[in-house]
Amino acid sequence: MSAPSLPAAPPQTEVPWSLWKSQVSGLLRLEVKKYLLSKRALLLYFLAFLPIFPFLIWNLRAMLVGDLPDIAQASMFYAGMFQTLMLHLVIFFACVITFTNLFRGEVLEHSLHYYFLCPVRREVLVVGKYIAGQFASWIIFLICVVISFCLVYFPYGGQGLDYFTSGPAIGHLLAYMGVTVLAFLGYGAVFLFTGLLFRNPIIPAIVIWIWEGINAFLPAMLQKISVSHYLISLCPVPLSGGPIRVIADPAPAWLSVPGLLLVTLAVLFLASLKIRHMEISYGGE
Amino acid sequence: MSDSQDIIFRNVSKFYGEVLGVNRVDLNLAPGITGLVGPNGSGKTTLMNLMTGLLQPTRGEISILGLPPDRPELLFNRVGYCTQYDSFPRGMNGFQFIYSFLRIHGLVHPQAEDMTWKALEMVGLQDAAKRKVAAYSKGMRQRIKLGQAIAHQPDVLVLDEPLNGLDPMARAEIIDLFKRLSEKGKHVIVSSHILHELDVISDQVVMLSNGYIVAEGDIHGVREEMTDVPMQILVRCDKPAMLASRIFQEDHAVEAQMHSDGQGLLLRTRDADSFFLLMNRMVTQEGLRVESVAPADDDVHSVYLYLIGNQGGSSS
Amino acid sequence: MAVFKRNYRQYDGPVTPAWSRFLILPRYAFKNVFRSRLLLVFYVLSFVPTIVFGAFIYLRHNATFLETFQVLPRDFMPVDAQFFFIYLSFQASLAFIITAFIGPGLISPDLANNALPLYLCRPFSRAEYVLGKMSVLIILISAVTWIPGLLLIFMQTNYAGLAWLTDNLRVPVAVLLASWLWIIVISLLALALSAWVKWRVIAGIGLFIIFFVLAGFGNTINVILGTQWGTLIDLASLITNIMHFLFMGEGLQGSIPVWSACLALAVLCALCLRLLNRRLQAYEVVR
Repeated sequence: MSAPSLPAAPPQTEVPWSLWKSQVSGLLRLEVKKYLLSKRALLLYFLAFLPIFPFLIWNLRAMLVGDLPDIAQASMFYAGMFQTLMLHLVIFFACVITFTNLFRGEVLEHSLHYYFLCPVRREVLVVGKYIAGQFASWIIFLICVVISFCLVYFPYGGQGLDYFTSGPAIGHLLAYMGVTVLAFLGYGAVFLFTGLLFRNPIIPAIVIWIWEGINAFLPAMLQKISVSHYLISLCPVPLSGGPIRVIADPAPAWLSVPGLLLVTLAVLFLASLKIRHMEISYGGE
Repeated sequence: MSDSQDIIFRNVSKFYGEVLGVNRVDLNLAPGITGLVGPNGSGKTTLMNLMTGLLQPTRGEISILGLPPDRPELLFNRVGYCTQYDSFPRGMNGFQFIYSFLRIHGLVHPQAEDMTWKALEMVGLQDAAKRKVAAYSKGMRQRIKLGQAIAHQPDVLVLDEPLNGLDPMARAEIIDLFKRLSEKGKHVIVSSHILHELDVISDQVVMLSNGYIVAEGDIHGVREEMTDVPMQILVRCDKPAMLASRIFQEDHAVEAQMHSDGQGLLLRTRDADSFFLLMNRMVTQEGLRVESVAPADDDVHSVYLYLIGNQGGSSS
Repeated sequence: MAVFKRNYRQYDGPVTPAWSRFLILPRYAFKNVFRSRLLLVFYVLSFVPTIVFGAFIYLRHNATFLETFQVLPRDFMPVDAQFFFIYLSFQASLAFIITAFIGPGLISPDLANNALPLYLCRPFSRAEYVLGKMSVLIILISAVTWIPGLLLIFMQTNYAGLAWLTDNLRVPVAVLLASWLWIIVISLLALALSAWVKWRVIAGIGLFIIFFVLAGFGNTINVILGTQWGTLIDLASLITNIMHFLFMGEGLQGSIPVWSACLALAVLCALCLRLLNRRLQAYEVVR
């Protein structure tokens, strides 16, 4: 004998954009403060401000020794620093720390259920937490990019100022800021997803890091299967390759930017699917 | 009452890998206070987590006031859950804890603030509102969790061991709160090991053992249905010896113990209805003067002992 | 009828020797560690290079093989200090990954669950606790570094004769010392991170940050200032420098002096011990 069916849930009649907006803003109020002001954020601040020290030393050296290279070489120096130290190490690990822990951190703290017990679609939770992570990261790391960029040209005095007012510096700075934002968007989505997928997301993080690191030495075809290839393509000052580095054609901006955004959206979509079926189980942590 | 006002479990099972959580649960809970009773590991928390979508059933269907638990955006406007997890988001004070999550509900500031203070008042934590939750005592943490669960004025309140760690005064206050909510027609589903308190407040009980429901409904009704367990009846009367001798002439009597003052009798019978008929006859025909008659084992504690007590697990 | 008073009496039966009690910790930790299949597979794979290097030594001394393929022993890379330096460098990087996976989860769960008072309310000191936790890493890393290294040396001595050993006496010493240096530095660092960073994922990432981000930072300093002293914060380079000295008798070309590398690592180890000492207390800290 079959049991009578249960009452059907009321259908979703319209998309409640304004409700979602207020829920996301509620999440932002709660989360951004946590990412910016908690003890945990100290590691992010350390990472963000670490690249500033070499530039301070650069200034100190300029003051004490005075033999500054050509300003164009300074641009190359910054490009090298940005692409290796900042993009591949600092921003990458900052994304790992921030975004793998958006949900994994709540599981470790045994506090995820508070979010799941709110009348919020879990997809909205993903978006809200992701935006909060982005917002906090941008605040910290864009400041770092601006300070470090200015510090490169500071020892040049008037010449440096001219480079900003009538030279390409402002354009370069905006490009670097844009690349930083895109890096956080792309890597952030990937690590949010790995944080949902794996109990210990360190292994996928390291695998991705190694892949992104060796990418420059792989055949041009394989280079295109990485975030860093598209990010580096968007950097305003290209670097020359080393002896064993294969230089793939940089991807044009019209492909890199929408491509990265599309990948980000796709990964966020997968994360939303994953979280829809996520259960609360703190026992194994 | 229409189905959409009830909490319905239809053939629900939940397995954690090969471990059984609950199995083949069929329930239909009407508004009022429902007590979930069972030893540790019997499936009470699993049942509550299934009800609130924190777990998803391996099999079966669940409907909470006509809403499926996997639609949190609809469900948690009407459901509040005070979990057993004794953890809180870091660095928050009591007010922020309730207020922040009300903002995630989508409430605007004045409304959220007003509802936060009301909830704090209901659980008696106004004075401690600005203190860090991490510095709260166990009882205060329990109350702030409860405050958060009721802050948005839900129609269904699910409470996992809400009386744990509360002092007697606080327990009395919280129980009074449950009663008031129940009188307003809300569902209050409480799991607890404090059986005598559950006995007082519950309109119905659900007893679980090893993931199965072993009894469900009004506790007196449950006791009456347990015909295989002789019922204990306490009788205060002027001729207990005569009553004892008469009931042993019937075949349903199992045991009778005279009170030491000679004014009462505790008896165990397999057929309470026959005993009451006999007593009626003795009152009308033989002048037996009865001061009081009361069942001695139709409370939650006794039923628990009969149904679950010998299967292990601890309960106070 | 007799009534026996059942008063509390202290246990006066046999007990295990005090020195061995710290071994209880690794015994339980190994069960936990190898629950991860990924780690188990990786750990097993980390023995593959030893087999490859062993096969290399075998083939180099196998007359039939040399005759069949008409190769001369001199066509092979010589089995000398350089050979074992390469071997140990490779094994050390595998040991680092193993440590990054296991190390962060050793102390942080105890702190997160306030379990330290449970350990320390017994006749079990903080030093024994650290030693117990560290022995998990020591045992696992030893099994992929100096133990197989010495086995390879034994194998080579067996084929090449005792003369090879007397000519290369610094090799076994270098294998032992370099392995233990690596083990102590990364174990202490991993434990300190595990004690200070509650989330093991972040502690694991922290280990990578300390090794790789600081290395990048140190290299940048070297580039800007035209110096080598930036290497002082590049842990991998510091250890490689000392290892090179132990195997070859001289530090890496163009790097900082070996004594300064030793000093930097000693400071790091002292700092890690200080951090562990501050963090591991027999009471609960309310956050």
